[in-house]
Amino acid sequence: MTTISPAPKRTVRRANIGNDFERRAYFFMRMSGISLLILAVGHVFIQLVLNDVHNLTLAFVADQWDDWGWKIYDMLLLFLALPHGINGLRNILEDYIHNERTLRVIRGLLVAFLVFALVYAAAAIIFFDPAQARDVAETLAPH
Amino acid sequence: MDSLKLTVTESIRYRGRSGHYSWIAHRISGLAILGFLMIHVVDTANAHFYPYLYAWSIDLFKHPFFGLGEIAVAGAVLFHAFNGTRIALLDFRPEWWKYQTQSATAVWVLFLVLFIPLALWLTLSIGTHCTALSAAGDSCWTIPSLADYSPN
Repeated sequence: MTTISPAPKRTVRRANIGNDFERRAYFFMRMSGISLLILAVGHVFIQLVLNDVHNLTLAFVADQWDDWGWKIYDMLLLFLALPHGINGLRNILEDYIHNERTLRVIRGLLVAFLVFALVYAAAAIIFFDPAQARDVAETLAPH
Repeated sequence: MDSLKLTVTESIRYRGRSGHYSWIAHRISGLAILGFLMIHVVDTANAHFYPYLYAWSIDLFKHPFFGLGEIAVAGAVLFHAFNGTRIALLDFRPEWWKYQTQSATAVWVLFLVLFIPLALWLTLSIGTHCTALSAAGDSCWTIPSLADYSPN
């Protein structure tokens, strides 16, 4: 009787790619980065070239934030650029600092700043009152 | 301190050639942009919460010193955006790694081609601003006083 030896088990090697925070952060950096190529470079061009910064006044802000299009543009910039920058800073710091306790403190401070700045700036964009800002602008002596 | 010194010297010494210089420039430009951005986000939000403080700060930022800083930040944004796109493309298409050197050079060329005219334009704009203020008997070098920006 001949025995047929079973086919050897195929070895499947998989890279251990979990769907963990680092992977999401890595993906976020690339996707937000490509979006910011348009949004941030566009923002620099619009505010520095099309509208010279020397013309920037509170009244100008009141005109821009009277428009939902500009509000959405600025909101997108805020929520893409700030987390991108803070995570980039975390990446750099983690390359040079190896003390786990120090890193925990740093991460806590970065997250605290990020949450504060996002909430503070988002609230400003949402609740900004153009009419009130124009009133304030009128009480300012020309400088 | 020794460790920091070592970090700086060794970062520059490493002979990673073009990709290495892009890597250093990407980090430095990223840090510069973030430094600006953290101030910019909170300052701009002040337009709603503290409009008088905001009005003062934007006049302060029209000072030529801030103008120069702004040119640097604009340059950092351009380089970081182009080089970052290169990184993302190479990460998603590893077979393009054979163009890594050429792509790094292309980023520097694109950056210089756009940044040089932009820097000249912005420098000119600082000059125009200063000339206009001088003609009005004022000076662009005066640092505005916060006390002048309170409600009447």
